[in-house]
Amino acid sequence: MKLKEVIFLSTGLKEKVGLKLESYTFRVEKGKIRELAQAIGDLKEEYLNGEAVPPTFPTVIDFWGGGASSSDLLNLNMKKVLHGEQEYEYFREIVPDEEITVHGVIEKAYTKAAMNFFVIRKDYMDKQGETILISRSTIIERH
Amino acid sequence: MEVGQTLEPLQKDGITHTQLVRYAGASGDFNPIHTVVPFAEGAGLGGVIAHGMLVMGFVGQAIGQWFEVKDLKKFTTRFKAMTRPGEKISVQGRIVNENEACWICEAEAVNEDGEVKVKAFFEVKK
Repeated sequence: MKLKEVIFLSTGLKEKVGLKLESYTFRVEKGKIRELAQAIGDLKEEYLNGEAVPPTFPTVIDFWGGGASSSDLLNLNMKKVLHGEQEYEYFREIVPDEEITVHGVIEKAYTKAAMNFFVIRKDYMDKQGETILISRSTIIERH
Repeated sequence: MEVGQTLEPLQKDGITHTQLVRYAGASGDFNPIHTVVPFAEGAGLGGVIAHGMLVMGFVGQAIGQWFEVKDLKKFTTRFKAMTRPGEKISVQGRIVNENEACWICEAEAVNEDGEVKVKAFFEVKK
């Protein structure tokens, strides 16, 4: 193992815990709901007409929400990054056309089997400040 | 509905490169390991791999076939193996437990050889 890696493992990872992502806001556009449903091939009428959203729609909010990406925050090498786990906890349905603001934080960071693991928690809030859902993503960076 | 019940499998068509490009645009995940073959080869992946979230989306589709999506309370997936264009994914699932409020279920997305791509757990309001 190179010296640089040793230093990163001993100090760099733990320092990432508690880091916050820049918050971002996304309006749930009906066209984006339809586009996601069509890409998956999940052609339920209520998705196509934008009345309801597929369970994995929050990923659209993350990537199109315009927030700073977690890969930048964690300084990840995108050639070495894999998505390990994804968890959603839903408190209420997402309503089309509503504005959702996302607050993200690095909840865990650890090394296992020559890979770095990061757990990113995101809270999706409505305009009233109520939580719509919580997401936890485990990102794996191969050494 | 009852504990131990097997849910009717969902069979998907083979994944295509075009579908990955389309999913990249829809989701906004433009990591080139999913769409640009030379980049993915350079990353040591031997070609592009599907977005894990696309395969989770297939499981989400199956859940919508089995239950009302508005009743979904929790949905967890572990990505077990890489999925590549040409692979045909099916989603199988079952009710494994219950509590007062919810059915507790598990599901897998597998290819034609039975290789598990995604292992999923989910809870749906009764």
